Amino acid sequence: MRRGRALPGAVGALCRALPPRSRPAPDTLRCARFDRPQASLDFWRLLYALLKQIHGDKWTQSDAIDNQISFVKSVLWYHGYDRPELYQLPSDGSAGSRELLLAFSWLLHRLSLLEQLLARNRVETGDQTSVCTCEADLPNSQKGMTERAPEYRLEDRVDVRYLQWLNGRLRFQWRSLHAQHQELCKLLHKIHLFTSGSHMDQILGHFSVTETDLVRQPENYKQLLQLLESETMQLEAFLEWKQLEPVYWQWMETVLDNMAEEGNTCESQDAHVEKNRLPKATSCCPWADSLTGQIDRLSRDLLTLHYQLHKLVTHRKAVWCEKVKTGGEELKKEGFSATARKIQESVELKLLDLTYLCAQKKIKMHGSCRLVFRSKHPASKTGFGRSVSKEHVSAVSATEVIRELQMREASLDRELKQLREECRQRLDEIAEGLDGVICISP
Amino acid sequence: MSIVTVQLGQCGNQIGREVFNAICSDVHGTHGLCSKKENESYHDACKERFFCEEESEVPVARAVLVDMEPKVISQTLSVAARSGYWKYDDRSHFCQKQGSGNNWANGYSVHGPRHKEVIMNLVQKEAEKCDRLGGFFTIMSMAGGTGSGLGAFVTQCLRDAFPSSFILNHVIWPYGTGEVIVQNYNSVLTLSHLYQSSDALLVHENDVIHKICAQLMNIKQISFRDVNQVIAHQLGSVFQPTYTAEGGLRYSRNPLGDLMETLVPHPEFKMLGLRNIPQMPENSLAYSTFSWPGLIKHLRQMLIANAKMEEGIDWQVQPPRLGSSLPPSHSTNRPLHFNTSIANLVILRGKDTHSVDLGSFQDPSLYTSWLNPRDAFNAWKTPRAFNKYEKSASLVSNSQFLLKPLDSVVGKAWNMFASKAYIHQYTKFGIEEEDFLDSFTALEQVISSYTIL
Repeated sequence: MRRGRALPGAVGALCRALPPRSRPAPDTLRCARFDRPQASLDFWRLLYALLKQIHGDKWTQSDAIDNQISFVKSVLWYHGYDRPELYQLPSDGSAGSRELLLAFSWLLHRLSLLEQLLARNRVETGDQTSVCTCEADLPNSQKGMTERAPEYRLEDRVDVRYLQWLNGRLRFQWRSLHAQHQELCKLLHKIHLFTSGSHMDQILGHFSVTETDLVRQPENYKQLLQLLESETMQLEAFLEWKQLEPVYWQWMETVLDNMAEEGNTCESQDAHVEKNRLPKATSCCPWADSLTGQIDRLSRDLLTLHYQLHKLVTHRKAVWCEKVKTGGEELKKEGFSATARKIQESVELKLLDLTYLCAQKKIKMHGSCRLVFRSKHPASKTGFGRSVSKEHVSAVSATEVIRELQMREASLDRELKQLREECRQRLDEIAEGLDGVICISP
Repeated sequence: MSIVTVQLGQCGNQIGREVFNAICSDVHGTHGLCSKKENESYHDACKERFFCEEESEVPVARAVLVDMEPKVISQTLSVAARSGYWKYDDRSHFCQKQGSGNNWANGYSVHGPRHKEVIMNLVQKEAEKCDRLGGFFTIMSMAGGTGSGLGAFVTQCLRDAFPSSFILNHVIWPYGTGEVIVQNYNSVLTLSHLYQSSDALLVHENDVIHKICAQLMNIKQISFRDVNQVIAHQLGSVFQPTYTAEGGLRYSRNPLGDLMETLVPHPEFKMLGLRNIPQMPENSLAYSTFSWPGLIKHLRQMLIANAKMEEGIDWQVQPPRLGSSLPPSHSTNRPLHFNTSIANLVILRGKDTHSVDLGSFQDPSLYTSWLNPRDAFNAWKTPRAFNKYEKSASLVSNSQFLLKPLDSVVGKAWNMFASKAYIHQYTKFGIEEEDFLDSFTALEQVISSYTIL
């Protein structure tokens, strides 16, 4: 009966490791195991709260239950949960607690639900910044974009000046955001600089924003203390959970076995109907559609690109051979070396871009980091070697990240210039074809 | 969020000084008509915006003064310091010994590149003093040589050095019968160049302000100081702190950004006009009462009829009636004198601003067909009264206000250009005829865009 005693401990630890506002009673899980209908509503609500937190959204208890249920269904679909019984559950939350228990356990395992929630709900130091040196995944087929003009009716027409207006507003808002961000950095620098040498932790050396705020407003310590205590309890519960986890999974296996025995006849016939019904769920999650669309487009583009590349290479080779044959004798010595040098430089530049794109980068950073201030010379007042450290495990210097981003910016600039030239040429070609039109390009 | 002011040329420096004066005296006045707490937040917001409180006892204006002659700058610096309430930073100015001779090309092609580094260093220093750079506000006149030519060059440099900052150019439109013969050339070149680098051009016409001084302020001998003070009052009424959102808890910390976003997102339409009511001599203020409905009614009619001040408004002009059968791009059904707006911003300061009804400004017939009032109209308010006016309302409008003056200036310049008068003065310094043609083309485009609203 060891399992009998360990299981309540595991379930209890699991519940205590969840965030305070979305914590189920251990009894709910037990009722769900036996598919008791009264647990269903609570379970839907629990899943709603947890998934909203994962996606960084705000939520309230008073959201309508069918909205909550459709949200949960669409998010599960997005993450790849394809057990049709769940999507067939009624949207008033009256039944299906066992299915929900299965879904919950699936999320625990698949999404590392607990770890994500713990990471999200950490007490803020205020020194966070997000770093991203990933390649931007923009759709690559320019040709495809321009020729696939959408069908539109007369009522859909919008004055292009209105679109320009909206675009301008967006630009200005971006600029305001940029200015705000720069202010944040400047003030953070000030805090770090002025509190250097005051922190107990020698490695850090300076206060964080939260600590500085506490110094200025000491009466807030109670709130901070409460938050820290709550987080500590959650973390301790999480450690306990990790010890007892295997018991929980054994228990879930028994649940699955029970369900298999009861033998649902949800065979391919119904599954086909399900596939048709599911789009209703996906209408709440538009990103799923665009994702599959993007994947299709990407594979199509790869094929066309491969074909075009092949054609281009053979064409270029042919042209080059022709040129060499006809112009070989006429090339003077001096002119040739100058052009050869120019060609070499441009090839090197292009190769640089290519190798940059294909090479494995040393720092592939994505996520939020804590900013730690390091002065280059400990004796000087102002330092300029800010380093970015993540839990003392992998510290990255800010100057390195800056250099990476600058290189990327330069290569994007070159790409932009090239695209602009191409557009300009196309416009000129079109304008030549039109009578009585003078095209003044920007 | 701090604004760095760049004062260019004689006109720019004199106006700049009056603007800071007006702002400072407004903040230190005891006529706020609001609670102490409100007054303090207003004071703090204004301080952050315009002044820097480093080691000196008096707040230091965030400004860079540029001129080719030393006289005006030294005068400006000393008058400011004498006030005792504020001053300029002693190192934040640049001047030379020679002038620009009212020659745009001299300012743009000669003085500009020669002194670019020094001037931009001063600007950079001021920008770094700000915790949050809210943008640049340049003051210049269009007609002269330094303000216009050097000003256009400096604006370009600002744009290159600060690509993501907001740049607002305050431009003084010269008297129609001004003394500078080539003022129309200077104006055309300035406007076309500014249009490329600046985000918005806020215009004050000398003729208009002169009339305000004569008819509303009852000044007999109008000096430049009087004109500048009226301009400063109008600018202050726009840039002093306000709440930009309904139910906002804090004064807006992004005045230039908010202004740009509401009025000039479209790159083709950047000309802004400014109207402010009421305007009267200070000693009459005590004997006057104002009502919001009256003020709003007058302001609206000033907008529609393109009136320059609250006297002599043509009340006959009315907005056209919108019918759904009319095609949206058909603009000839509008009455001839009606001023079509793209976007409007109304700023209310003083008592009872929360109860003002601005529905008359949200009438769709005031606006161009492709923008609805929800996007086109905004209102900023504050209960704190400005500059001793118990109630005051300002209107910053992106509309056809400046269409006629612009058309007239371009027309006159073109006539001069057609006979090649005085061109040699410009080609001497590197401004060729093609540059003139480019400027004319650009401004014709602007005129046509505003005409077909």
